[in-house]
Amino acid sequence: MSWGDALVVVAGFFAGVLSGFIGIGGGTAFVPIMTVGFRFGQTLAQGTSLAAIVPTALVGGLPNIREGNVLLGPGRWMGGGGAVGAILGALLALYVPGPLLARVWGAFLVLFALRMGREAWKKPAAARRSPPI
Amino acid sequence: MIPLQVLWAGVGQHNANANSLVAIIPIAIAALPVYYFSHQWPEVDLHFALLLIVGSVVGAYVGARLLGRIPERELTLIVVAVLLVVGVKELVFP
Repeated sequence: MSWGDALVVVAGFFAGVLSGFIGIGGGTAFVPIMTVGFRFGQTLAQGTSLAAIVPTALVGGLPNIREGNVLLGPGRWMGGGGAVGAILGALLALYVPGPLLARVWGAFLVLFALRMGREAWKKPAAARRSPPI
Repeated sequence: MIPLQVLWAGVGQHNANANSLVAIIPIAIAALPVYYFSHQWPEVDLHFALLLIVGSVVGAYVGARLLGRIPERELTLIVVAVLLVVGVKELVFP
C-alpha cells in the first residue's frame, strides 16, 4: 500500500465519521475528496462514492436502528421512493455536464442550509432530542 | 433528504439523520449499476472505493455513536455548517 492509498483510507475515515454522525451516507464528503483531492471527474466521483456509501451507511445505520433513532416506516418509503428516483437521477447525471450538475446540487444545499439554520436559530438553545414519533 | 424531512415533515434532527443514513442504502444500490454499466467504461473506480471503505466503515461507527450524544440544536447547526461548506464549494468550484 502506497502513501497515497493510506491518505485515501484516512480521508475515508473522516468522511465516515461525518456520514455516521450527520447521516449523509458519505457522498457529500466522498465526492469533494475525489474531485478536489484526487482530480476525479464529477461523474466518476459520484459513481465511486455510491460504491463506498453502501457499506458505510450499513455500518452507520445499524447502531442507529439499535438506538431507536430510525423511524422505520418513513425510512422504508424514503428508501423505496429514493431507489426509483435514484435510477432516474443517475441516468440524468450521466448525460448532464458535470459542472452544471455540481452547481445545481450546490445551490440546493445552500438554500436548505440557510432555511434549516434559520429555524434552528429561532429554537431555544435548551431544545433537546425530539420525542419518538 | 435531511433538509426535506426537517423542514417539510417536521421530523426531529436525530431521526432525520438516522433515517437518511438507512434510506440511502437501497438508493445507492439502485444507482450504482447505472454508473457502472451505462457508459462504455465503468464510471466507478472500485480500487479507490475499497480504500475509502476501509477508512469510512470505522469512521461511520464512531460517527453513529456520537450522534446519540449531542443535543438537537447543536446537531442541526453542525448539519447546516456542513451543507453550507459543501454547497458553496460546489457553486463556486463546480
